[in-house]
Amino acid sequence: MTQFPNVLQYAVPGFILLIIIEMIWAKRNAPEKYEPRDTLSSLLFGTGSTAIGGLTAVAAAGIAMQVYDFRLTTIPVTWWTIALCFVLDDLAYYVFHRAAHRVRWFWASHVNHHSSQHYNLSTALRQTWTGFFSMTFIFRLPLALIGFHPAMILFVGAVNLLYQFWIHTEAVGRMPRWFEAVMNTPSHHRVHHATNPRYLDRNYAGVFIIWDKMFGTFAAETDAEPIRYGIVKQLGSFNLLWSVFHEWVGMITDLIKAPWHAKLGYLFGPPGWSHDNSRDTSDMIRARWQEQQNG
Amino acid sequence: MAQAVQLGISLAAIGAIFWLARRMGLGGDVRIRDRDHACQIASDAFVSFKCSDAAVDLGGYSALVRDDDGRHVLIWILGNRFVTRMLSRDVEARLDQKQLTINPHEPGAEKIILTLGEAAQFWAAGLRHIPQ
Repeated sequence: MTQFPNVLQYAVPGFILLIIIEMIWAKRNAPEKYEPRDTLSSLLFGTGSTAIGGLTAVAAAGIAMQVYDFRLTTIPVTWWTIALCFVLDDLAYYVFHRAAHRVRWFWASHVNHHSSQHYNLSTALRQTWTGFFSMTFIFRLPLALIGFHPAMILFVGAVNLLYQFWIHTEAVGRMPRWFEAVMNTPSHHRVHHATNPRYLDRNYAGVFIIWDKMFGTFAAETDAEPIRYGIVKQLGSFNLLWSVFHEWVGMITDLIKAPWHAKLGYLFGPPGWSHDNSRDTSDMIRARWQEQQNG
Repeated sequence: MAQAVQLGISLAAIGAIFWLARRMGLGGDVRIRDRDHACQIASDAFVSFKCSDAAVDLGGYSALVRDDDGRHVLIWILGNRFVTRMLSRDVEARLDQKQLTINPHEPGAEKIILTLGEAAQFWAAGLRHIPQ
Protein backbone atom coordinates (compact mmCIF):
# COMPACT_ATOMS: atom_id res chain seq x y z
CA MET A 1 0.00 0.00 0.00
CA THR A 2 1.28 3.47 -0.92
CA GLN A 3 2.30 5.64 2.02
CA PHE A 4 0.54 8.98 2.23
CA PRO A 5 2.22 11.99 3.84
CA ASN A 6 0.80 13.61 6.98
CA VAL A 7 0.04 16.91 5.28
CA LEU A 8 -1.39 18.59 8.36
CA GLN A 9 1.80 18.06 10.32
CA TYR A 10 3.83 19.76 7.58
CA ALA A 11 1.30 22.58 7.34
CA VAL A 12 1.49 23.71 10.97
CA PRO A 13 4.41 26.18 10.49
CA GLY A 14 2.49 27.64 7.53
CA PHE A 15 -0.63 28.04 9.72
CA ILE A 16 1.37 29.95 12.32
CA LEU A 17 3.02 32.17 9.72
CA LEU A 18 -0.29 33.00 8.03
CA ILE A 19 -1.92 33.81 11.40
CA ILE A 20 0.89 36.25 12.15
CA ILE A 21 0.53 37.84 8.70
CA GLU A 22 -3.22 38.20 9.25
CA MET A 23 -2.57 39.75 12.68
CA ILE A 24 -0.33 42.35 11.03
CA TRP A 25 -3.10 43.01 8.50
CA ALA A 26 -5.57 43.39 11.37
CA LYS A 27 -3.26 45.75 13.24
CA ARG A 28 -3.17 48.02 10.20
CA ASN A 29 -6.77 47.74 9.06
CA ALA A 30 -9.09 46.43 11.74
CA PRO A 31 -7.61 45.65 15.19
CA GLU A 32 -11.03 44.48 16.42
CA LYS A 33 -10.87 41.43 14.15
CA TYR A 34 -8.60 39.76 16.69
CA GLU A 35 -8.93 39.43 20.43
CA PRO A 36 -5.94 37.92 22.24
CA ARG A 37 -7.93 35.72 24.66
CA ASP A 38 -10.19 34.51 21.87
CA THR A 39 -7.14 33.63 19.77
CA LEU A 40 -5.55 31.85 22.71
CA SER A 41 -8.73 29.87 23.23
CA SER A 42 -8.96 28.90 19.54
CA LEU A 43 -5.34 27.77 19.42
CA LEU A 44 -5.73 25.70 22.58
CA PHE A 45 -8.79 24.11 21.00
CA GLY A 46 -6.59 23.18 18.05
CA THR A 47 -3.80 21.73 20.17
CA GLY A 48 -6.22 19.73 22.32
CA SER A 49 -8.02 18.46 19.26
CA THR A 50 -4.76 17.34 17.65
CA ALA A 51 -3.58 15.61 20.84
CA ILE A 52 -6.90 13.79 21.36
CA GLY A 53 -7.14 13.08 17.63
CA GLY A 54 -3.75 11.38 17.79
CA LEU A 55 -5.03 9.05 20.48
CA THR A 56 -8.35 8.23 18.82
CA ALA A 57 -7.04 8.02 15.24
CA VAL A 58 -5.85 4.45 15.84
CA ALA A 59 -9.35 3.37 16.88
CA ALA A 60 -10.98 5.22 13.97
CA ALA A 61 -8.49 3.68 11.52
CA GLY A 62 -9.17 0.25 13.01
CA ILE A 63 -12.90 0.66 12.47
CA ALA A 64 -12.29 1.87 8.89
CA MET A 65 -10.09 -1.18 8.22
CA GLN A 66 -12.85 -3.46 9.54
CA VAL A 67 -15.32 -1.85 7.14
CA TYR A 68 -12.76 -2.01 4.32
CA ASP A 69 -12.69 -5.78 4.74
CA PHE A 70 -16.28 -5.80 3.45
CA ARG A 71 -15.52 -3.53 0.45
CA LEU A 72 -17.46 -3.88 -2.77
CA THR A 73 -14.32 -3.61 -4.87
CA THR A 74 -10.64 -2.81 -4.48
CA ILE A 75 -9.78 0.62 -5.85
CA PRO A 76 -6.12 1.03 -6.82
CA VAL A 77 -4.04 4.04 -5.84
CA THR A 78 -3.63 6.21 -8.94
CA TRP A 79 -3.83 9.98 -9.42
CA TRP A 80 -7.39 9.77 -10.68
CA THR A 81 -8.66 7.50 -7.90
CA ILE A 82 -7.15 9.91 -5.38
CA ALA A 83 -8.94 12.77 -7.17
CA LEU A 84 -12.20 10.80 -7.20
CA CYS A 85 -11.78 9.95 -3.53
CA PHE A 86 -11.20 13.65 -2.80
CA VAL A 87 -14.45 14.66 -4.51
CA LEU A 88 -16.49 11.89 -2.87
CA ASP A 89 -14.91 12.64 0.49
CA ASP A 90 -15.95 16.26 0.08
CA LEU A 91 -19.52 15.10 -0.52
CA ALA A 92 -19.26 12.96 2.62
CA TYR A 93 -17.97 16.05 4.41
CA TYR A 94 -21.00 18.02 3.24
CA VAL A 95 -23.34 15.34 4.62
CA PHE A 96 -21.41 15.22 7.91
CA HIS A 97 -21.36 18.99 8.19
CA ARG A 98 -25.07 19.31 7.51
CA ALA A 99 -25.79 16.68 10.15
CA ALA A 100 -23.42 18.47 12.52
CA HIS A 101 -25.68 21.52 12.33
CA ARG A 102 -29.03 19.75 12.25
CA VAL A 103 -28.61 16.97 14.83
CA ARG A 104 -27.81 18.04 18.37
CA TRP A 105 -25.69 14.95 19.09
CA PHE A 106 -23.24 15.96 16.37
CA TRP A 107 -23.68 19.68 17.05
CA ALA A 108 -22.47 19.13 20.64
CA SER A 109 -19.04 18.47 19.14
CA HIS A 110 -19.14 20.79 16.17
CA VAL A 111 -20.36 23.82 18.13
CA ASN A 112 -16.76 24.26 19.31
CA HIS A 113 -15.73 25.38 15.85
CA HIS A 114 -18.43 28.06 15.84
CA SER A 115 -18.29 29.37 19.37
CA SER A 116 -15.89 32.23 18.67
CA GLN A 117 -17.43 35.60 17.88
CA HIS A 118 -14.42 36.33 15.71
CA TYR A 119 -13.67 35.09 12.25
CA ASN A 120 -9.99 34.86 11.49
CA LEU A 121 -7.42 32.21 10.67
CA SER A 122 -7.14 31.15 14.30
CA THR A 123 -10.85 30.25 14.18
CA ALA A 124 -9.98 27.58 11.61
CA LEU A 125 -7.93 25.77 14.23
CA ARG A 126 -10.77 25.85 16.73
CA GLN A 127 -11.60 22.17 16.38
CA THR A 128 -13.57 19.81 18.56
CA TRP A 129 -12.13 17.54 21.23
CA THR A 130 -15.08 15.16 21.19
CA GLY A 131 -15.40 14.28 17.51
CA PHE A 132 -14.50 10.64 17.96
CA PHE A 133 -16.87 10.25 20.90
CA SER A 134 -19.75 11.65 18.85
CA MET A 135 -18.79 9.17 16.09
CA THR A 136 -18.49 11.72 13.30
CA PHE A 137 -16.12 9.33 11.50
CA ILE A 138 -19.12 7.24 10.40
CA PHE A 139 -19.76 9.69 7.57
CA ARG A 140 -16.53 8.65 5.84
CA LEU A 141 -17.04 4.89 6.26
CA PRO A 142 -19.07 4.50 3.03
CA LEU A 143 -15.90 5.39 1.11
CA ALA A 144 -14.09 2.45 2.70
CA LEU A 145 -17.09 0.26 1.93
CA ILE A 146 -16.89 1.27 -1.73
CA GLY A 147 -13.25 0.24 -1.80
CA PHE A 148 -11.07 3.29 -1.14
CA HIS A 149 -8.24 2.38 1.20
CA PRO A 150 -8.60 4.04 4.66
CA ALA A 151 -5.12 5.58 4.30
CA MET A 152 -6.26 7.31 1.12
CA ILE A 153 -9.45 8.51 2.82
CA LEU A 154 -7.40 9.87 5.71
CA PHE A 155 -5.09 11.65 3.27
CA VAL A 156 -7.82 13.33 1.21
CA GLY A 157 -9.63 14.23 4.44
CA ALA A 158 -6.48 15.98 5.66
CA VAL A 159 -6.14 17.85 2.35
CA ASN A 160 -9.79 18.88 2.68
CA LEU A 161 -9.15 20.26 6.17
CA LEU A 162 -6.02 21.99 4.93
CA TYR A 163 -7.99 23.74 2.19
CA GLN A 164 -10.51 24.98 4.75
CA PHE A 165 -7.86 26.83 6.73
CA TRP A 166 -7.45 29.81 4.40
CA ILE A 167 -11.18 30.47 4.00
CA HIS A 168 -11.47 31.52 7.65
CA THR A 169 -10.61 35.15 7.08
CA GLU A 170 -12.11 38.58 6.58
CA ALA A 171 -8.90 39.77 4.95
CA VAL A 172 -10.02 38.33 1.60
CA GLY A 173 -13.12 39.86 0.03
CA ARG A 174 -14.40 38.02 -3.04
CA MET A 175 -12.46 35.67 -5.29
CA PRO A 176 -12.89 35.70 -9.12
CA ARG A 177 -16.43 34.83 -10.18
CA TRP A 178 -15.55 31.43 -11.67
CA PHE A 179 -13.81 30.47 -8.43
CA GLU A 180 -16.72 31.63 -6.24
CA ALA A 181 -19.05 29.55 -8.45
CA VAL A 182 -17.30 26.25 -7.82
CA MET A 183 -15.12 26.50 -4.75
CA ASN A 184 -15.78 27.28 -1.12
CA THR A 185 -14.31 30.71 -0.43
CA PRO A 186 -13.87 33.14 2.48
CA SER A 187 -17.07 34.88 1.39
CA HIS A 188 -19.14 31.67 1.33
CA HIS A 189 -17.72 30.47 4.60
CA ARG A 190 -18.28 33.80 6.37
CA VAL A 191 -21.96 33.18 5.67
CA HIS A 192 -21.65 29.76 7.27
CA HIS A 193 -20.22 31.22 10.50
CA ALA A 194 -22.85 33.96 10.72
CA THR A 195 -25.63 34.13 13.28
CA ASN A 196 -27.73 36.57 11.26
CA PRO A 197 -31.09 34.82 10.70
CA ARG A 198 -30.79 35.10 6.91
CA TYR A 199 -27.58 33.06 7.02
CA LEU A 200 -28.34 30.41 9.65
CA ASP A 201 -27.56 26.85 8.55
CA ARG A 202 -26.23 27.73 5.13
CA ASN A 203 -23.08 26.86 3.14
CA TYR A 204 -22.03 23.53 4.64
CA ALA A 205 -19.45 22.90 1.93
CA GLY A 206 -15.87 21.92 2.65
CA VAL A 207 -14.03 22.48 -0.63
CA PHE A 208 -16.67 22.57 -3.38
CA ILE A 209 -19.59 24.97 -2.88
CA ILE A 210 -21.50 23.10 -5.60
CA TRP A 211 -22.95 20.71 -3.00
CA ASP A 212 -24.82 23.57 -1.32
CA LYS A 213 -26.08 24.76 -4.68
CA MET A 214 -27.20 21.24 -5.57
CA PHE A 215 -28.94 20.56 -2.27
CA GLY A 216 -30.52 23.99 -1.71
CA THR A 217 -28.47 25.19 1.24
CA PHE A 218 -26.51 27.94 -0.48
CA ALA A 219 -26.67 31.60 0.50
CA ALA A 220 -24.53 34.35 -0.99
CA GLU A 221 -22.91 36.95 1.21
CA THR A 222 -24.56 40.36 1.01
CA ASP A 223 -22.83 43.63 1.76
CA ALA A 224 -26.10 45.09 3.00
CA GLU A 225 -25.89 43.50 6.45
CA PRO A 226 -22.75 43.15 8.56
CA ILE A 227 -22.11 39.59 9.66
CA ARG A 228 -22.30 38.70 13.33
CA TYR A 229 -20.21 35.62 14.02
CA GLY A 230 -20.57 32.89 16.61
CA ILE A 231 -23.53 30.92 17.88
CA VAL A 232 -27.09 31.98 18.61
CA LYS A 233 -26.46 31.82 22.37
CA GLN A 234 -22.96 33.25 22.61
CA LEU A 235 -20.52 31.86 25.14
CA GLY A 236 -20.37 34.02 28.24
CA SER A 237 -16.72 33.41 29.09
CA PHE A 238 -13.33 32.30 27.77
CA ASN A 239 -13.29 29.30 30.13
CA LEU A 240 -11.74 26.62 27.90
CA LEU A 241 -13.32 23.54 29.46
CA TRP A 242 -16.75 25.16 29.49
CA SER A 243 -16.24 26.14 25.85
CA VAL A 244 -15.39 22.53 24.96
CA PHE A 245 -18.15 20.80 26.89
CA HIS A 246 -20.97 23.33 27.32
CA GLU A 247 -23.27 21.80 24.72
CA TRP A 248 -22.69 18.29 26.06
CA VAL A 249 -23.56 19.53 29.55
CA GLY A 250 -26.66 21.27 28.21
CA MET A 251 -27.76 18.22 26.26
CA ILE A 252 -27.31 15.82 29.16
CA THR A 253 -29.12 18.20 31.51
CA ASP A 254 -32.02 18.42 29.06
CA LEU A 255 -32.01 14.66 28.65
CA ILE A 256 -32.30 14.09 32.39
CA LYS A 257 -35.07 16.66 32.84
CA ALA A 258 -37.09 15.71 29.76
CA PRO A 259 -40.19 13.52 29.93
CA TRP A 260 -39.64 10.04 28.51
CA HIS A 261 -41.41 10.66 25.22
CA ALA A 262 -39.14 13.66 24.50
CA LYS A 263 -35.72 12.31 25.43
CA LEU A 264 -34.68 11.26 21.94
CA GLY A 265 -35.65 14.68 20.62
CA TYR A 266 -33.04 16.32 22.84
CA LEU A 267 -30.38 13.98 21.46
CA PHE A 268 -31.23 13.77 17.80
CA GLY A 269 -33.51 16.74 17.17
CA PRO A 270 -32.09 19.97 15.79
CA PRO A 271 -30.19 22.27 18.17
CA GLY A 272 -32.70 24.48 19.98
CA TRP A 273 -35.46 21.89 19.80
CA SER A 274 -37.61 21.54 22.92
CA HIS A 275 -40.67 19.42 23.62
CA ASP A 276 -42.63 22.43 24.91
CA ASN A 277 -41.51 24.88 22.21
CA SER A 278 -39.84 27.03 24.84
CA ARG A 279 -36.72 27.43 22.71
CA ASP A 280 -35.93 28.27 19.11
CA THR A 281 -34.39 26.17 16.39
CA SER A 282 -32.65 27.96 13.52
CA ASP A 283 -35.67 27.25 11.31
CA MET A 284 -37.95 28.98 13.81
CA ILE A 285 -35.61 31.98 14.05
CA ARG A 286 -35.41 32.28 10.29
CA ALA A 287 -39.19 31.97 9.89
CA ARG A 288 -39.77 34.72 12.45
CA TRP A 289 -37.20 36.92 10.75
CA GLN A 290 -38.80 36.26 7.36
CA GLU A 291 -42.17 37.20 8.80
CA GLN A 292 -40.68 40.43 10.08
CA GLN A 293 -39.15 41.18 6.68
CA ASN A 294 -42.50 40.64 4.99
CA GLY A 295 -43.98 43.23 7.29
CA MET B 1 8.68 11.35 23.38
CA ALA B 2 8.55 13.01 19.96
CA GLN B 3 4.87 13.77 20.50
CA ALA B 4 5.58 15.36 23.88
CA VAL B 5 8.21 17.59 22.24
CA GLN B 6 5.74 18.47 19.49
CA LEU B 7 3.12 19.38 22.11
CA GLY B 8 5.67 21.52 23.94
CA ILE B 9 6.59 23.38 20.76
CA SER B 10 2.90 23.91 19.94
CA LEU B 11 2.22 25.37 23.38
CA ALA B 12 5.26 27.64 23.09
CA ALA B 13 4.05 28.85 19.67
CA ILE B 14 0.57 29.50 21.10
CA GLY B 15 2.08 31.48 23.97
CA ALA B 16 4.14 33.51 21.50
CA ILE B 17 1.11 34.31 19.32
CA PHE B 18 -0.93 35.33 22.39
CA TRP B 19 1.88 37.57 23.57
CA LEU B 20 2.24 39.08 20.11
CA ALA B 21 -1.50 39.75 19.80
CA ARG B 22 -1.47 41.60 23.13
CA ARG B 23 1.71 43.45 22.26
CA MET B 24 0.18 44.61 18.97
CA GLY B 25 -2.81 45.96 20.84
CA LEU B 26 -5.30 43.84 18.92
CA GLY B 27 -8.85 43.78 20.21
CA GLY B 28 -9.34 47.40 21.16
CA ASP B 29 -11.65 48.86 23.77
CA VAL B 30 -15.31 48.15 23.10
CA ARG B 31 -18.15 49.71 25.09
CA ILE B 32 -21.91 49.95 24.87
CA ARG B 33 -22.24 53.51 23.63
CA ASP B 34 -25.78 54.45 24.61
CA ARG B 35 -29.37 53.21 24.86
CA ASP B 36 -29.82 52.97 21.11
CA HIS B 37 -26.71 50.87 20.83
CA ALA B 38 -27.95 48.57 23.61
CA CYS B 39 -31.33 48.25 21.89
CA GLN B 40 -29.62 47.40 18.62
CA ILE B 41 -27.52 44.66 20.23
CA ALA B 42 -30.60 43.11 21.86
CA SER B 43 -32.67 43.26 18.66
CA ASP B 44 -29.84 41.67 16.68
CA ALA B 45 -29.65 38.82 19.17
CA PHE B 46 -33.38 38.14 19.50
CA VAL B 47 -35.39 38.48 16.30
CA SER B 48 -38.79 39.24 17.83
CA PHE B 49 -37.45 41.51 20.54
CA LYS B 50 -38.63 45.11 20.15
CA CYS B 51 -36.73 47.27 22.57
CA SER B 52 -38.83 49.76 24.53
CA ASP B 53 -36.33 50.93 27.13
CA ALA B 54 -32.67 50.46 28.00
CA ALA B 55 -30.27 51.31 30.78
CA VAL B 56 -26.55 51.37 30.14
CA ASP B 57 -23.94 50.92 32.84
CA LEU B 58 -22.00 54.09 33.62
CA GLY B 59 -18.80 52.69 32.12
CA GLY B 60 -20.58 51.14 29.14
CA TYR B 61 -19.58 47.61 30.15
CA SER B 62 -23.09 46.20 30.46
CA ALA B 63 -26.72 47.07 29.87
CA LEU B 64 -30.28 46.02 30.54
CA VAL B 65 -32.90 46.23 27.82
CA ARG B 66 -36.61 45.45 27.97
CA ASP B 67 -39.61 45.28 25.69
CA ASP B 68 -43.28 46.16 26.18
CA ASP B 69 -44.04 42.62 27.33
CA GLY B 70 -41.66 42.99 30.26
CA ARG B 71 -38.99 40.71 28.82
CA HIS B 72 -35.49 41.73 29.84
CA VAL B 73 -32.20 41.21 28.02
CA LEU B 74 -28.88 41.48 29.82
CA ILE B 75 -25.87 42.54 27.75
CA TRP B 76 -22.24 42.41 28.76
CA ILE B 77 -18.88 42.60 27.09
CA LEU B 78 -16.64 39.59 26.60
CA GLY B 79 -13.30 40.48 25.08
CA ASN B 80 -14.38 42.95 22.43
CA ARG B 81 -17.74 41.40 21.63
CA PHE B 82 -21.17 41.45 23.26
CA VAL B 83 -22.96 38.62 25.04
CA THR B 84 -26.73 38.71 25.45
CA ARG B 85 -29.05 36.71 27.68
CA MET B 86 -32.83 36.79 27.87
CA LEU B 87 -33.47 36.84 31.62
CA SER B 88 -35.93 34.55 33.29
CA ARG B 89 -38.12 35.28 36.29
CA ASP B 90 -35.79 33.41 38.65
CA VAL B 91 -32.81 35.63 37.78
CA GLU B 92 -30.51 36.26 40.74
CA ALA B 93 -30.17 40.03 41.09
CA ARG B 94 -29.02 42.18 43.98
CA LEU B 95 -29.72 45.88 44.36
CA ASP B 96 -27.11 47.93 46.17
CA GLN B 97 -28.22 51.57 46.05
CA LYS B 98 -27.13 52.64 42.58
CA GLN B 99 -25.74 49.32 41.49
CA LEU B 100 -27.50 46.25 40.26
CA THR B 101 -25.59 42.96 40.29
CA ILE B 102 -26.85 40.07 38.18
CA ASN B 103 -25.47 36.56 38.36
CA PRO B 104 -25.75 34.78 34.99
CA HIS B 105 -24.87 31.47 36.68
CA GLU B 106 -22.58 30.30 33.90
CA PRO B 107 -19.22 28.62 34.44
CA GLY B 108 -16.43 31.13 34.00
CA ALA B 109 -18.78 34.08 33.69
CA GLU B 110 -18.44 36.70 36.40
CA LYS B 111 -21.32 38.48 38.05
CA ILE B 112 -22.43 41.42 35.93
CA ILE B 113 -22.38 44.75 37.76
CA LEU B 114 -24.51 47.53 36.32
CA THR B 115 -23.94 51.01 37.72
CA LEU B 116 -27.22 52.59 36.77
CA GLY B 117 -27.54 55.49 39.20
CA GLU B 118 -31.06 56.38 40.30
CA ALA B 119 -32.53 54.06 37.66
CA ALA B 120 -31.16 50.96 39.40
CA GLN B 121 -34.21 50.61 41.66
CA PHE B 122 -36.61 50.93 38.75
CA TRP B 123 -34.82 48.19 36.80
CA ALA B 124 -34.54 45.95 39.85
CA ALA B 125 -38.31 46.22 40.26
CA GLY B 126 -38.75 45.35 36.61
CA LEU B 127 -36.78 42.15 37.02
CA ARG B 128 -39.32 40.94 39.56
CA HIS B 129 -42.07 41.14 36.96
CA ILE B 130 -40.52 39.24 34.09
CA PRO B 131 -43.24 37.18 32.39
CA GLN B 132 -43.11 33.37 32.54
